[in-house]
Parts: sequence; C-alpha cells; structure tokens
Amino acid sequence: MTAVSAPGAGAIASVAGREGARRRRRFDAFPYLLLAPAALMMVIVNLVPIVQGFRMSLLKLNQYTLSQFMDAPFIGLRNYRGVLFDPSNPVHSGMLGALRNTALYSLLVTICAVSIGLGVALLLNRDFPGKALARTLLMLPWVVPTYVVGTLWGFMWQRDEGIINHVLVDVLHLLDHKPFWLIGSNTFFAIVIPTVWRAWPVLMLIFLAALQAVPEELYEAARLDGANAWQRFVNITLPALKPVIVIQVMFQIIDNIYSYNIVAMMFGKGAGYPGEWGDLLMPLLTRQSFSYWRFGEGAAVSFVMMAVMLVFVAVWMRTFRRSMTDEA
Amino acid sequence: MWVMPVTANAQHDVPNLIAPWLARHPGVTVRVTVLDWESGWNKITAAAASRRGPDLLELGTTWMPAIAAMGGLERLSAAQLAEVGNGAPYYPELWKTTQVFGQPGVYGLPWYADVRAAFYRTDVFRQAGVDPKQAFADWDAFHAALKKINGTTVAGKRVAALAYAGKNDWNVVHNLAPWIWNAGGDVLSPDAKHSALDSPQALRAIDFYSKLAVEGLVPSNALEKDSDILEGAWVGGDYGVIFSGPWLMRRIFESPPGSVVRSNFDVAPYPAGPHGHATFFGGSNLAIFKGSRHKAEAWELVKYLGGKAPQVQLALVSSMMPARIDAANDPAWTSRHPVYAKLTAIAADGRAYPPIPAWGPLETVYTKHLGQLAELSSGIGEPYSVPAMKALIADTVVEADKVLEEAN
Repeated sequence: MTAVSAPGAGAIASVAGREGARRRRRFDAFPYLLLAPAALMMVIVNLVPIVQGFRMSLLKLNQYTLSQFMDAPFIGLRNYRGVLFDPSNPVHSGMLGALRNTALYSLLVTICAVSIGLGVALLLNRDFPGKALARTLLMLPWVVPTYVVGTLWGFMWQRDEGIINHVLVDVLHLLDHKPFWLIGSNTFFAIVIPTVWRAWPVLMLIFLAALQAVPEELYEAARLDGANAWQRFVNITLPALKPVIVIQVMFQIIDNIYSYNIVAMMFGKGAGYPGEWGDLLMPLLTRQSFSYWRFGEGAAVSFVMMAVMLVFVAVWMRTFRRSMTDEA
Repeated sequence: MWVMPVTANAQHDVPNLIAPWLARHPGVTVRVTVLDWESGWNKITAAAASRRGPDLLELGTTWMPAIAAMGGLERLSAAQLAEVGNGAPYYPELWKTTQVFGQPGVYGLPWYADVRAAFYRTDVFRQAGVDPKQAFADWDAFHAALKKINGTTVAGKRVAALAYAGKNDWNVVHNLAPWIWNAGGDVLSPDAKHSALDSPQALRAIDFYSKLAVEGLVPSNALEKDSDILEGAWVGGDYGVIFSGPWLMRRIFESPPGSVVRSNFDVAPYPAGPHGHATFFGGSNLAIFKGSRHKAEAWELVKYLGGKAPQVQLALVSSMMPARIDAANDPAWTSRHPVYAKLTAIAADGRAYPPIPAWGPLETVYTKHLGQLAELSSGIGEPYSVPAMKALIADTVVEADKVLEEAN
C-alpha cells in the first residue's frame, strides 16, 4: 500500500511544524507560578514531615534519646523488625488482636453506614412535607465532634445508669437483663454503633446529591417498560450511584482503619486500653509507642500503616477505576 | 511558670499565692500558665527536649525523674539544698521523688501531696453493727466488715460495700499499690530493674483485692466507671467505703446541706496487711527549668512556695495536703475538720513509687494490664481464677521488664 500525499500537504505540515516548534520554544511560566505556592505548602506541610518521620523510624528515638531528637542513634530497619516480628516488643504486644478488631470494625461500620446512608437517601429523594427539616435533623449526629460522641456514648452504654439499657430493657423489653457494654466482648459493639451513628448522615447527604443528578426520564422510561421498584433500583439507581459508592466505601474504610477518637474518649481515662475486643490499631499505636515513649518504633509502625493504606488505595482505585469514571 | 490545675481556679489562685513574694521582688513579673494533666506531659517533654520552656514548673512526682533524666531540669546546688535544710522539712518519701533513682542530685522541692485513705460512711457501719476501728484493723477484719455492710439500707438507699474503678481510670496502679506494699510485695525489684508484680506477696495482694469484686463486695457496675464518677456516687450515698484523697473533702462539703454523707463520714488508714498499712503518696514538685534565663529568681520563688506558710495557704485553697511535715501539722490545716488531722497522721505511712525515669511508660503498662483484672473479676466472660490472674500478671511482667530493659 502506497501513501498518497494530497497537493499542498507538505506545505501545511511544514507550517504546523514551525508553529509547534514556536510553541515549544515559548515556555509559559505563568501556570507554574500560580501552582508554586500550593506546591510549596504541600512540600512544607506534607513532604517534610513525611521525610522527617521516615528518618525517625530509622532511629533509636525513645525517652532516653529524645533530647538528641534527629541525632539519636541510627539503627536502620531494627524498629520495623521489632514492631512487626518481635513478640516481646511492647509495641507489638496485642497487635494481632487490634488488627482483627480493626478489620471487623472497618468492615461492619462501612457496611452499616453505607447501607443506612443509602437507604435514608432513597427515602429522602422524594417529595414530602418537611423534607428539608428532616434532612437537617438527620445530619445532627454528623455535626457532633467524634470526641463528644465517644464521651456521650460512654455514659449511654453504662449498664445501670445508661439510657441504652433503660430503653432496651425497661422500655422496649427486648432483653430480660441489663448487659455490660463497656466490659467484655460487647465492647466491640460499644465502639461500632456510635461510629455508624455518626458516619451515616454525611453519606446520606452525598448519596442524596448523587440521586438528584439521576435523570428522571430514565425512571419514567423504565416504568413504561414495566420495571418494578426493585428493578429500577438495581438497574438505574445503583449503576448511577456506583462511582459515588465506590469512592465513599474507600473513604469509609480509610477513616475506620485510622479511627481513634471514639475509643480514646470512651476508654481513655486509664491506659486507653478498652480490652481484648475494643482495641483498634490507632489507639494501640498511640498507647504503645507514644505513651511508652518509643517514638522511633511509633514512626516505623506509622509508616507500615501508611504503606499498607497506599497499597489498599492503589488496588481499590485500579479495581474500580472504570466504575469511578463511568458517567451516570 | 507552668502549673497544673492545682485548684479549681488555678489561674487566679496561684498568682494570689505568689503575690506576697512578688511584693518583695518588685522587679520580677511572673506569668502563670495553667496546663492540664492530659496535655501537660506532652508540652513539658517537648519543652525539655527543645530546651525552650518556662523558668519554673510544677511536675507530678512520677514525672520528675523522667524530665530530670532528659536533662530538662536544673540540679539544685549544695548551697541551695542547705537553704532548705537538705529536705528535712518535707516528708521523706516525697523528698525522694525530687531525685532520680540510683543517681546523685536533687531537682526540686515537694509542693503538695496526694495521700490516700479509706473514706467510709459512719452511719452505714453503725447500722450494720460494725466497729470501724476493728474494720480497718487488718485484711480479714476489713473483708468481714465489707460483707456485713454490703447491701445495708440507709435512708431508703441500698448501699454497696466498696467502690473501686476498673480499666477506664488513671488510679488503677495507685489503688492497688498499697495492698501490694502491705502484703510485703512491691511494684519493682529493689534495684528497680524488674517488675515485682509476680512475687508471691504481690500476687496474694492482687488476689485479695480482685476477690473483693468477685464476691460482689465491689459491685460489678463500679468496674465500668472511673474514680471521679465513683467519688460522686460515694458522696451521693451509693457506697460504704472508697479509697480516695483529700480532694474528696471538697466534694463532700459541696454536696447539698441535707446530704446524708456530709455528717456521716470518717477516714481510716488502709487495712493493715502482714507488712503494715502503707498508703499511696503522690503529688507535685516544683523545679527550675534547665533552659531558664532567670534561674536565681526562679529558685527564690521555688524556695518561697516550698515554705511553710505558702504550703498551708495552698492546701487551704486546693484541698491537697501540704508536702512539708510542719505545714501538714499546722492548725490552720488540721483544725479545719478532724479528717484533715487524720490524713496528716495517715501520711506518716505514705509511700511513693521508686523515682525511676521509666515510670511513665511503666505505669501505662501496669494500668493497661491491671485494668484487665476488673474484666476478670466482673464475672463477664472467663470466670476469675488464681491461674487466670497469674497469667495476666505474667504478661504484665514481660511487657514491664521490656520497658525497664531500655532504661538499664
């Protein structure tokens, strides 16, 4: 096959080439100038602490070397080995239990918060009197700071004086005795439920905004084709919300793995140890690295967590890349 | 000057306290910053590490060795020590907390004391037919007395025998330590290099203490609360006995005038174990910051606040006990209420933890594990047994020894 050039094509290509070369020569610094302050701030606020944190993770930085700070003895990867593989290392102690709790907690909170948020968003995505007021009132749990949530629920969970047992046993008669929520394995639910309680309203708001962007014509067409409510939800609503759900699930998992405040406020008056079923990774790391003054090991384990989260985010983004970029 | 919230209004009370000294030092100004116990530690350690901080500061007795070992505090000279009688006016156990275990040097002066005693309801004991003098004589008598008073109904209210907190409380170690000492055990080995919680004496004390909850003498719902809530509940009439400090007096007298506790309470020393009836001794010290640019003036102020009159004055506004023996015996303190004189007497058996720099991390280890005793004795999940308790203590000792290993 032979390529045939149209008359004058060479001249056009030549002009385009010259313009391209001119464009390449004329470097426009203005966009970079606009970006520079933001980039500088990113370096100062993010990059410098990350680099310094990484260096700390390679130092024997503890109570006895803290005054030397970044000049503390360099010990390579020993902190990483200690926190990950040495069972006698105080930072490592209880880590498997906290890892199990954190995985279950993140899973349960994410599933519950996303489900409730989506369910309530669907209910609110229709017209009824007082809709705006209902939406505002439902947002109230989210505006309560997490440390207040932890403190308040800590009181509410108390066996005899707490309102939860009062409602469950005395009002609704759902249980025949008042269980302990802050002692024993129920501790797990004592931290899951307040987290869900605080998390779902913002998800509801985000899902509601996404729902309102779904063209009504799609539902009308489906109705004309005889689709019932479930079919419309599965075939129109869910696909339309998929990009939002994928992103929100990822944010929820990240938030829940890094969860700290609720546990800290509910159980933070002593060592901050809620017991075998209430300990999460972040409270454990705070207690057993920083309260134990093992700053080098604390930095190491923080880096391990950061690396794990980066891998998780990368895998998640890759898995759901198409879902996130699909148009509704 | 950095202080902790030693009074309900420290920002006002501390300047008042130093006003007479300022009048004698017209060229000096003192800016008082009140820290809180939660964030104070971080702020002080950051200051010690960076050498930038106040001229003088208040430090909890268990904090002082750590900050001194970091090089954050000015060591007192022989001349300065001579000016304060080489510590003779202060309770020896508190004076010990101004030093670092096994090292020479003194880094400050004791400022005020936290001393623990059994606060009990006289009406409850009377109603149950229990003589308080006998009740606190020894462990067996105490156990028998608690059994008798448990469930007594006074003024229509059922009273539980004893209150102590569980895992969610900063007093876990302070509550348990006197029982261990009185059994002949200790929290650390004599050389302070190992945990001694697994000694037979300490285990006996821990078993006795835990069984008070196992037997229901400490109601299980107390174990999910903290000391602050339990003290309020004791003042409200829910419990017969609580181990607490002089600050409880303020709560008692702030209760409503008709409160049944207000006119029906007294204090007693810890029940004597086989080795005496020691009590926990803590509190705060004053020290000069290493980075201070006004060390001479700071020392003058520390010396003034360590004196008898300011210590009495502070005790009156704070409800914490003076750290000086003569101030604790001053009629202005002892005559406020008979209980204050009794607290002074009890303080003679006060015992402080060994002043090791690693106490902070060690206390977190101890609190974390010993707090789980409450879970074990609550009857929820695994039932309490001596082997289960010993296993928990064995885990505690392993982790504690690892923390101590770094210090040695």
